[in-house]
Amino acid sequence: MGSFELICPAGNPAALRAAVDAGADAVYLGFRDETNARNFPGLNFSRPELAEAIAYAHARSVQVFVAINTYPQAGNLAPWQRAVDDAAQLKADAVILADLGLLAYAAKHHPDLRLHLSVQASAANAEAIRLYREAFGVRRVVLPRVLTVPEIARLNAEVDVETEVFVFGGLCPMAEGRCSLSSYATGLSPNKQGVCSPASHVRYEPRGEALASRLGGFTINVFGAGEPAGYPTLCKGRFVPGGGTSRDPAYLFEEPTSLNALALLPELKAAKVCALKIEGRQRGKAYIAAVVGAYRRALDAFERGLPVPALDLEAMVEGGAQTTGAYTRAWR
Amino acid sequence: MRDPGFMVQDQANETAPDPRARDVEVQLTRAGLGFARRLGDRAGGLLFDRLLRILEARHPRAFTALGELPDARLLIDPVDAPAALLLRVGPGLALRVCDRTAEAEATVRGPCARLLDLLEGRIDGDALFFRRELSIEGDTALILALRNTLDGEEMDLFGDVAAAAGPLRHALPVARRNAGRALDLLATARRFAPPPVRWGMAVLERRLIGPRQGA
Repeated sequence: MGSFELICPAGNPAALRAAVDAGADAVYLGFRDETNARNFPGLNFSRPELAEAIAYAHARSVQVFVAINTYPQAGNLAPWQRAVDDAAQLKADAVILADLGLLAYAAKHHPDLRLHLSVQASAANAEAIRLYREAFGVRRVVLPRVLTVPEIARLNAEVDVETEVFVFGGLCPMAEGRCSLSSYATGLSPNKQGVCSPASHVRYEPRGEALASRLGGFTINVFGAGEPAGYPTLCKGRFVPGGGTSRDPAYLFEEPTSLNALALLPELKAAKVCALKIEGRQRGKAYIAAVVGAYRRALDAFERGLPVPALDLEAMVEGGAQTTGAYTRAWR
Repeated sequence: MRDPGFMVQDQANETAPDPRARDVEVQLTRAGLGFARRLGDRAGGLLFDRLLRILEARHPRAFTALGELPDARLLIDPVDAPAALLLRVGPGLALRVCDRTAEAEATVRGPCARLLDLLEGRIDGDALFFRRELSIEGDTALILALRNTLDGEEMDLFGDVAAAAGPLRHALPVARRNAGRALDLLATARRFAPPPVRWGMAVLERRLIGPRQGA
C-alpha cells in the first residue's frame, strides 16, 4: 500500500493554484452550471479555465478530477453528457459521477476515461460498489461519511476498488447530499440544481446581539451574542421537538461542526483507504492554502513515521468546532 | 460543542502580510475613506472611478463578471472607518463613498482590516462569518457572487494602485519590507517631540482617519 493521495477542493482557478502550490496530489472541481453539486454564484470553472487549470496542475504532476455529480433529469441530459465529453477532451484525469445513466454514457463513449463514484451516490456496501465496478469499470469510490473506520476496513477487504474518504471540512449527514430538506424549504434541489441551501433563499437577520439565519422563509437557527455561527442548512438548524414551547431549541440532526480525521490516519491506513479528501469547493483560497498545507505537512510526517504535527485550523471551521464524525461514533 | 473524541490541538492560522505594513495600509484606507467623504460626491466620485479603472485593467475577468450581475447596490461597511462604500454591480458598475445607513440590496459589515483581507483573498470569508467578525444582511446570493468573484483574483489593492502610479511600483515592496522600522522611528520621533508637536500630530491623525465607531 503506497502513500495516501491528498485530494483537494477548488472553486475557482485561484483556489486551484493555491491547492496545487500547497501540496495537493489531486484537485477536484466542477463546471459553472448545474452539473456539479456546488453550483453557487461566482463559483466553478468555464471550459477555458478548466483547460488552463489542467495545464497548471499537470505541469506540477498534480491530477485534476472533474465532479459531474448531480442527477440529470428526464429530457435534459445534454448538459451532463457535454460535461463528461468536455472533461475527457480537456484531458481531466478522472470524472466523479453519481448517476447510473451518466456512468453508462461515460463508460461507453470514453472507455479510457477514469471513473470515480461520487459521494453523492452514497455507495456504502460491497454489493453496491461491486455493481459500479462490474457494470461501468469504476476505479474509485468516494465513501459516504456515515461509515465507521472498522466498517470501512471490512468493506475494503471485500472489494477490488480504490476508496477515498473525507478527512476535513463540512459534514453532510443527509444521505450525502441527496437532501430533501433543502428542496422542501427552497424548491431547489442539491441533486438536480447542485444547490444545498441556495444563497438566493438565505437571509441573515440581526436580532440585537443575536443572529438569525433563515432559509426559504423558515427561521432555522438563532446564534446568541458571540456564539460561533454555522452554515444556513436545515440539517444543522435548531428546533423545538414537537412544536412545543417548553424546551429550548436544540440541534436535532447535527451540530454546526467540521470533520477533522487527522487523528485517525493510522486507522485509515490500516483500513487500506487510498485517498484522503478535503471538503470545501465553496471556500476561499485562504482556506484551501491553510488546510491543504497543514494536511500536506501532516501526511508527509505520517508517511515518514514522524510525529504528526498539530493542525492549527480552528479558525477555519464551522461553528468553531471539530469532530471525527461517524468514523468513531455511532450517531447514525 | 467540541467533540470529546477529537484529539488534535489547533490554533488560529491565517495567511497575512507583515502586520506592521498591513496596519499602515489599514490606516491609509481609513484615512482615504475620510478624505473621500470630505471631497464630496463629485470629486470623491472621480477618485473612485479612477480606482475602479485601475483595478479593472488589472483584473478584467472579475470586472466582467461583476458587470454581468443583475443591477444591485451593495453596502460595504468597515465599522471602524469614518464612512462606508456603496458598490453598484451590473452594467453601471460604480463605487462611491456613503453613509453606513445608505440603502442597498445587501450589506457586508466588518472591521476595515478584515474587509481588506477578504478583498485580497488573505482570509476565508466563511471563517470570518463563523467567528461573527463579518455580518451580512439582505441578498445573500449577491454577497456570495461578489465574494467568490473577488476570491478568484490575485488582488493586492495597494500593489495594484502603486503599479498604476509608475515609480511607486518599485517603492511599495521596499516600503512594506521596512514598514516596521519606519514605524518604530516615527514612534520614537513622536515620543521625543515637544508637546505642541505631539498634539498637532494627533489632531492631524484624527482629521485624516476620522472618528472610530464607538470611540
